[in-house]
Amino acid sequence: MEIKGSVAVITGGGNGIGEAVAKYFAQNGAKVVIVDMAQKNIDRVVKDIQGMGGEVIGVQANVTSEADTAKFIKAAIEAFGQINIAVSCAGIIRDGTMLSLDKETGKVNRKMGLDKWQPVIDTNLTGTFLTVRDAAEAMVNGGWPGLLVTISSVNKVGQVGQLNYSSAKVADALLPKIVVGEFLMRGIRNVRCVGIAPGYTATPMLTGMNQEALKAILADVHLGRLVDPNEIARLIGHCVENEAINATTLEITGGLCYPGGIAK
Amino acid sequence: MTSFTYNDMEFSVEEGQGRWSITYRTAEGKTGVVGAGLFAGVPADEIEARVRALIKTVFPVGVRCVGPDVAHPLMIGDLKIVPPDVTHPNFIYWDKDSSSSPKQL
Repeated sequence: MEIKGSVAVITGGGNGIGEAVAKYFAQNGAKVVIVDMAQKNIDRVVKDIQGMGGEVIGVQANVTSEADTAKFIKAAIEAFGQINIAVSCAGIIRDGTMLSLDKETGKVNRKMGLDKWQPVIDTNLTGTFLTVRDAAEAMVNGGWPGLLVTISSVNKVGQVGQLNYSSAKVADALLPKIVVGEFLMRGIRNVRCVGIAPGYTATPMLTGMNQEALKAILADVHLGRLVDPNEIARLIGHCVENEAINATTLEITGGLCYPGGIAK
Repeated sequence: MTSFTYNDMEFSVEEGQGRWSITYRTAEGKTGVVGAGLFAGVPADEIEARVRALIKTVFPVGVRCVGPDVAHPLMIGDLKIVPPDVTHPNFIYWDKDSSSSPKQL
């Protein structure tokens, strides 16, 4: 499948990896739908893409809502007539351990509440499911060639302090295998699904963190720097163009290792 | 440039080099962009209908009529709860201007 002339829907397209993906597709001739919660982020990215001479719409939407998902899928078809690529970048973190102990008594003094668990599952897993489901429905009914992309994380291996996030991201990594298996079972041949599992990436969330902590993180990265969002965008672009990549999740980490040199 | 009001928002549609951009201003003065570089090659007399259809999709207004999902009730003990079903054929958006909706007193 070619990027040029395709229609790409990117959730979380207003910043970070989603913004880079949206701009990469626009630069390469795709028509782009930016989905984000923040209208000011949508406006900024839409104007940037407009400046590149691209074709773009922005839809303020919550990916955890079925009605909102139906809205941005319908808007993509209203504006551009089809959907070929859906990238589920919308994601959040609410870090914390499941239990915290009082240092003096050794007893549990705090536990992770649903206020931290549920939004992360809703956005990172249910949101991905709804985006993938409704984009696939449109692609199948429209008979358009399509690629569904989930954004997992290298922390799918299990990161302490991120029980909620890792649980969602391991599911996002597994989703392409199951979806494509079901497509095969149902005779759906025009739509593929892949996952992308980035390592530590140069998004505002990480570049703005304590620089000493960042240095400690980079000590375990063979490449010696954060992954650039544009590098992730190029990998997704390659997945669009290389139809043999399917039903799998690809890591892009710069060589993230456990201390001692074993690749994560 | 064409302007019109929908859902208490003022929309502006501008053409440049055969492509169309849509922006809006809310009643509170907030501004935003719906899209840019759109509808290349679409005949001029079809543009307004395309723009209005897109805007009504992006900014649905008013009440939703939602059919109950009677096939999938939630059971809590003996209590059967029939939730709304957004996939139901009766799930529609009210696509008239909000000024035509009853105001809440």
